[in-house]
Amino acid sequence: MPADEAHDEYHHDLSYREGVPPVRTRQGVELYCESTGEGIAITTLNNFFFSAPFWRDYTDELARHYRVVSYDLCNHGRSTRLPQEPTWQEHTADVIGLLDGLEIDSTYLLASSASTQLARDVALAHPDRVRGLVLAGPVLGPQGMRRHRGLQRAWLRTLNDHDIPTLFSHMYPEFISTQMNEEYGAAGYLGLRESFLAMSTPEELNNGLTLAQKGDSSPELLTRIQAPTLIALGDDDILLSPTAGHELAALFPNGRCEIMPKAGHVPFLDDPAGFQELVRKFIDEAEAHV
Amino acid sequence: MSDTAVGEVRQRIRELLVEVFGGPSFVGKVPDAVSLREAGVPSTALVALLVAMEDAFGFEWDDDVRPEVLRSIDSLAGHVVALRG
Repeated sequence: MPADEAHDEYHHDLSYREGVPPVRTRQGVELYCESTGEGIAITTLNNFFFSAPFWRDYTDELARHYRVVSYDLCNHGRSTRLPQEPTWQEHTADVIGLLDGLEIDSTYLLASSASTQLARDVALAHPDRVRGLVLAGPVLGPQGMRRHRGLQRAWLRTLNDHDIPTLFSHMYPEFISTQMNEEYGAAGYLGLRESFLAMSTPEELNNGLTLAQKGDSSPELLTRIQAPTLIALGDDDILLSPTAGHELAALFPNGRCEIMPKAGHVPFLDDPAGFQELVRKFIDEAEAHV
Repeated sequence: MSDTAVGEVRQRIRELLVEVFGGPSFVGKVPDAVSLREAGVPSTALVALLVAMEDAFGFEWDDDVRPEVLRSIDSLAGHVVALRG
């Protein structure tokens, strides 16, 4: 791949916006937050590996049509650091506090991997604040979350026995698709590793991966979510097959599953434009039925 | 490998960094031993630099390269020189 193409392909502007006022969400907690665009809100939920700026490259088209809100979780990135890692309930309260602080009545939630559990919890606890869910590479399974949590436990063990670069070498072939592995080569691997190293500390990853293994894993919870739900799934996602993705979507009263060819566990990495087109179509159709 | 050869590799890496990142005045002010990330070189430019180095120096990166190798112009040059034996 020529150098100029590589520059475009691996573009990750992870810089924080200066002068952006934090949003107070609860006692002692202020979150770094970026809001781009206008209209119906889409709130992105970090999965413990991302920071708020990471989402820009994967929501740039959406921000032309909607208001995209990205924030750093409490105890991560530039948000408040507390002595204790927040619980899922506290992360849920932060989402609602964020919406209140930004005067957003209701929003679509865009979640990836571990944060799909947070999206589920927010939709269950505050259905009036959630217009719809986009679950990309969900850790929610049609029969439970045992396999996902086993993988998260293995990642956590690798982190604690070694370091973040070793964790990345463990995770990369699992969450990155076959196609990206081949196309990106070693230079792409090393560059993505640099982004990965820049976004998290060992403590943040330890806390996040520990929390990711907690919470109710019952598929029955999903049957209570009335909000329109899109499962965006790569057909090269090792955690959830296309068949299971359709089964998962069928649990939601208003769910659907879209398969992204050759994409991996984080499908928008493989095809940012195609992913955003799927999301836009989903939202436009959901809004047409409101 | 002589100091002259190491210096030439460093200089070539600087030229490649200018090609992929722009800002010759900026690149000129980045000391050899300073972290590229801390100096303000984004990971985007780093990947492009890594790809350009493969072409310029005739080798392929390996996944097992430690992060400290990618840290600075000095460490990158040291890697190239070590590969040449």
